[in-house]
Amino acid sequence: MSDEFEPKIIALVCNWCTYTAADLAGTSRLAYSANVRIIRLMCTGMIDPKYILKALLDGADGVFIGGCHPGDCHYINGNLKAKKRISGISKIVEQFGFDPERLRLRWIGASEGPEFQRNMNEFFESIKALGSTPVRDRMIL
Amino acid sequence: MTMYAILETNNNPSETIRSVLKNMLSEKLVDVVLVPFKTEYSSLPMPTLIADPEKMLQAQPLAPAAPFNAARQAASVLRYPTGKKVAVVLRTCEIRALIELAKLKQCVLDEAILIGFDCMGRIENDSYLEMAAQEEDITTSFYADSSMQDRITGICKACEYFQPYGADLTICLLGMPVMEKIGLMAGTEAGENIIKSLGLSTVEQPEGREVAANSLLQKRTEARDKLFSETSEKIKDIEKFQKTIANCLNCYNCRNACPVCYCKECVFLTDVFAHEPEVLQRRAAKRGAVKLPADTTMFHMTRLAHMSHACVGCGQCSSVCPSSIPVADIFRTVSAKVQELYNYVPGRDISESIPYLVFEEESSNGK
Repeated sequence: MSDEFEPKIIALVCNWCTYTAADLAGTSRLAYSANVRIIRLMCTGMIDPKYILKALLDGADGVFIGGCHPGDCHYINGNLKAKKRISGISKIVEQFGFDPERLRLRWIGASEGPEFQRNMNEFFESIKALGSTPVRDRMIL
Repeated sequence: MTMYAILETNNNPSETIRSVLKNMLSEKLVDVVLVPFKTEYSSLPMPTLIADPEKMLQAQPLAPAAPFNAARQAASVLRYPTGKKVAVVLRTCEIRALIELAKLKQCVLDEAILIGFDCMGRIENDSYLEMAAQEEDITTSFYADSSMQDRITGICKACEYFQPYGADLTICLLGMPVMEKIGLMAGTEAGENIIKSLGLSTVEQPEGREVAANSLLQKRTEARDKLFSETSEKIKDIEKFQKTIANCLNCYNCRNACPVCYCKECVFLTDVFAHEPEVLQRRAAKRGAVKLPADTTMFHMTRLAHMSHACVGCGQCSSVCPSSIPVADIFRTVSAKVQELYNYVPGRDISESIPYLVFEEESSNGK
């Protein structure tokens, strides 16, 4: 094993669009960064701020949130609720020294397998460039 | 034109307000008044619901103390409409919190008469009691002697919201020779009706209020900006933040004292954070050690995620902290960023929606 920095990335994705896009990327054999750990949720609108905070405080280097394009949400506007909340959480974590770039929200539709692949690889590259989370190897009270 | 009445104070502004409130009760303009009240057992004024006009003698409407943020108590009286008129005398941070609670459907303000006053700040409970042991009437000395006003809490010194927002009646102290006279200003039609019904003669608003308000605003804003920059430094990375909250006992006093933390059952008291032994052991194994109770950092950050948009900066969280953690400084500093992002001032206007309930359609990709 090399000593190279291998980021841990958590992707919270919605069942209806982005997870389906991830599925499509898989069946289409589109390879993307293996550092991404996907967690499927029914909707990005159900992302509790705690999920993001826990991921960051437990040592995730990046948190990706993928939802449906505006207007396509299975629950009408869950994705817009998520966007509003995440903009606030991003401001909060920034105050405590987390680069807001560690948190990324994107809309990826069910048919956009290649788009999912591209987003995962781009996020991986940007986290790799940012380096390790400030939480790593530190005891968090 | 704003309806404005001048009230003579004869060196006792509290007495003047007491008689106005007493008249409101005896003239049946309101049925009950919630007002800080000095019991025979302690000098610390507690929010008290008064129905008997005679009881008004013990009211301390302008006392520079707030044992806690009384918005919760006001909300409990105003939980649903009862057909009675309820007047509440509150500090500006309490009115703002009450308005936030109304937006959160915790109370209905239709029957309420909100009475605010130009807030010169509050003194911590222990200092207030010490002062009260030496002095009969702290309130009068507080307004007569501006050096006493330096003893207000740090968070009050940094508060730029000293003028009541959305009050039906404002007791005007700014720019007034408080020992001679004060003003009573109507902010709404309900307020105007009360001034009229009390038979107070109205005058043109005297000049000087704006000048006094601006100069206080400047002083407070400077203190606020200093507080923001010093606090940002204390939390600017996770290590510094850990040091700042290192003595936190997870007592959750800050959450209990918070007027806008309104949940009946806080998530931190649920099974979500009642970890199984295996979870704690796994965490210890992963990081080498885990401090108990766990989730201290998580607690403060989650609370910020829940209520930073609504933080009114009343400072009660710091006042109740047994470990002297500058909770209010942290919360005000971080909340200012969140409120700026949403262009939201909590308690500014009851018709303004909570930011998390408004979302715009847009076409850009995320961000």
